[in-house]
Amino acid sequence: MGELKVIKPLHVNPLKLSQPMGATLAFLGIKNCMPLMHGALGCASFTKVLFTRHFNDPIAIQTTAVNDITAVIDGGEKGIFEAIANITQKVTPELVGLFTTGLTETKGDDIKGACALLKEKQKIVYVHTPDFEGGLESGWALSVQGIIEQLIEPSVECNKDKVLLIPNVNLSAIEVEKIKESLDLFDFEVYALPDLSDSLDGHLGVKQGALSSGGISVEAIKKLGDTGHVITVGRSVKKCGELFKAKHTQSQHHHFDTLTGLVACDDFYKTLLTCKDWSKPPASIQRWRKRLQDTLLDTHFALGKAKVIIADEPDNAYAMAKALREVGAHVEAIIAQRSEVQELFTCNVSVGDFEEVEKALPLYDLLITNYHGERLAHQYHKAILFRGFPNYEQVGIGLRHNVLYEGSCALLCEVANLLGDHIS
Amino acid sequence: MINKKLIKDLLNESACSHNKDKKSSCDKPKPGATSGGCAFEGAQISLFPYADAAHLVHGPDTCLGASWETRATLTSYEGENNTPLGYCTNVTTQDIIFGGDKKLAEAIAYIVEHKKPKAVFVYETCVTAMIGDNIDFTCKEARKRFGIPIVPVHSPGFVGGKNLGSRLAGEAVLDALVGTREPKEIHPFGINLIGDYNVTGDMWQYTPILERIGIKVVATLSGDGRIEAVQTAHTAKLNVIVCAKSLITLCRKMQERYNIPYVSVSFYGKRDTSNAIRSIVNAFGDEAMSKRAEKIILEEEAKLEERLLPYREILKDKKAILNTGGNKSWSIASALQDIGIEVVATSIRKATEEDIAIAKTYVPILMKVPANEQAKLIDEHNIDILLAGGRSLYTALKKKVAFVDVNQEKKVSYGAYGGLENLAIDVCAALANPVFKLASKAAPWES
Repeated sequence: MGELKVIKPLHVNPLKLSQPMGATLAFLGIKNCMPLMHGALGCASFTKVLFTRHFNDPIAIQTTAVNDITAVIDGGEKGIFEAIANITQKVTPELVGLFTTGLTETKGDDIKGACALLKEKQKIVYVHTPDFEGGLESGWALSVQGIIEQLIEPSVECNKDKVLLIPNVNLSAIEVEKIKESLDLFDFEVYALPDLSDSLDGHLGVKQGALSSGGISVEAIKKLGDTGHVITVGRSVKKCGELFKAKHTQSQHHHFDTLTGLVACDDFYKTLLTCKDWSKPPASIQRWRKRLQDTLLDTHFALGKAKVIIADEPDNAYAMAKALREVGAHVEAIIAQRSEVQELFTCNVSVGDFEEVEKALPLYDLLITNYHGERLAHQYHKAILFRGFPNYEQVGIGLRHNVLYEGSCALLCEVANLLGDHIS
Repeated sequence: MINKKLIKDLLNESACSHNKDKKSSCDKPKPGATSGGCAFEGAQISLFPYADAAHLVHGPDTCLGASWETRATLTSYEGENNTPLGYCTNVTTQDIIFGGDKKLAEAIAYIVEHKKPKAVFVYETCVTAMIGDNIDFTCKEARKRFGIPIVPVHSPGFVGGKNLGSRLAGEAVLDALVGTREPKEIHPFGINLIGDYNVTGDMWQYTPILERIGIKVVATLSGDGRIEAVQTAHTAKLNVIVCAKSLITLCRKMQERYNIPYVSVSFYGKRDTSNAIRSIVNAFGDEAMSKRAEKIILEEEAKLEERLLPYREILKDKKAILNTGGNKSWSIASALQDIGIEVVATSIRKATEEDIAIAKTYVPILMKVPANEQAKLIDEHNIDILLAGGRSLYTALKKKVAFVDVNQEKKVSYGAYGGLENLAIDVCAALANPVFKLASKAAPWES
């Protein structure tokens, strides 16, 4: 735990992104879905622009466009009805993900009531995601909880070979895919909820951005009730697994705070071996573990002396801090919002903004953060590794892979090489 | 407080030509069928380029979290550049219950003490408007305490779109800043530049030319702008609106209050840049200056033509379709024509009546539903290049024509004479690139 800091009356260069933005991404991981943000049009517009620039792909999102009149009358149903009518005139979404903003939560709209009235017309999942609470991670997690509560049908069956992966918002499209592939090697029938590996992975398709371009289908979500194992990755989605387990009591819940680094991956595979009652994982996994062992040793010279500051969402900051600590790096983390995972860091950690990052930066060699850190890194002549949202500078964000033995190797090598290049 | 009457007046601006036959200029955004930004974003875009002022957003982190450091509005300010910085009161549940005024006052004090800005703009947002924070009072108190302008901007997102927001920002500047300082001397040919935000340095493409002609830029709203300069904006002799009809109310009011006439110009393309310079110079009616201007225009055009020579050969006989919004529907068309491209069609889906009228004079085919029309037009007219937003990329790939994303945040300036060469370079690069044919190549197992 970090020391207590004087509370500032403002954020200077915020690190935090909002709950509705997390909700948007969660619904984009469902096939033929339309995320519908219940707020003023700017809330959706800012979100659309940020993710479009981040992913370099069209982003489906709509808004209920609350105006000065609808902001003060009714319970929000007028705008929601009108939005659904206008959306369904042009496209046929299999699901609409309806979520609130600070504006409509301040007003106290009854979105559950509005959805009940629309039941015959459009399948909707509703979520309360005010901007003035939580952040990107919690918005994603609350949406997943909403989907579990409202979409999954009860089942008397329990299929021990069926697994549901619930990733946290920070995992890239390819990371989700790699985890799925790994589970596949254990002969599981695998689903991910949400599944960005099939939508925002930067694939070329007939995508006009009118609806989400891929993801888990609504039909598959409905039938998740017989899932034997639910796996949550990241503290922000732990509750989603607990909720699933509470609703489907025959299932087993396995939680992992991170899947980056040797210890984390060992835990993961140990659990899978127990689930399957196998003594050894497939050969490719054994081989990658050996490569990671070698990478740990190869990179420890550079990283053992490295001073790294990470500014990111809590789950991602934790994953990277833990992996870098395994090779002896000196790490400090500044996280975007409060999180339970804060307790687990074995280094200095605090909630903060880029002003705090700037104050600490002179003491470090490398800054790991989003696009907004670039200016600081240049100014203080520090190396920078881009992680987190947004990243406007680079391409191939969806292809980045830093989980499991293989991805951990990639992370350690990238950091070590970056530091090497920077010094020389 | 949000001023309902002001918003109504701004929406029914008499100086807008389209209001002659249209009841409402800025229709209310339609739920479920809209994609534009809100009033807050419009206000922010209009004022952010004041690099010597801090921009404090009074609302939850979202309003700022996704919008700071997003626009390449360049500045020559030598003090701490506030353009890429974001300040936000980060309103939370507590503040919503107990009110956010105290937090706002503390935030202003923090900024003034730590950052020493020349002014602070305080943006009201949806949440703080709903909970009824008295932002005007807090700003007034802070102004007394710190002795610098603390300017409230009443632009919560729910009052309307981006365009209205930039009008509201103009009102805030007019009410709180313009006319609050007298300059040391008044230049006989002083102008204010209104509506150019100096994105990628667009403004700097033409301001040196204006200076050579003998015109002085007194103040800007707000490209490379300074607070002290805009305080003296009332002493300029002419307001020049650059591609921004949203600020016409401000100019009309400045005409009424300070007797400053205004002209509306565009600095995209060779012809429009030359015409813009002429419009400004003609407004002064000074013969010697007019002669000087003509000479400089001739020089600049000749210099440009020489630089464009290598591209002319490549661009000759090339045909384009343009699918973008607002004034870009004609200003980029004009610029493309100036580098020798035939613009067959342009989109008017998101253009105002006035823009449509101008677009007609440049381009033969106006597309109302470009998503449906452009693919067909590419075939019919043997088009070489499509300039559009990212969503049209697939159309280009399918039709195997070159593509330029004109809605992407641009990295280089396309403004004035100098920018035209950048446009030619980008278009030539796209035309020469094999990727548009390759990326959509069928897989071996598909053919």
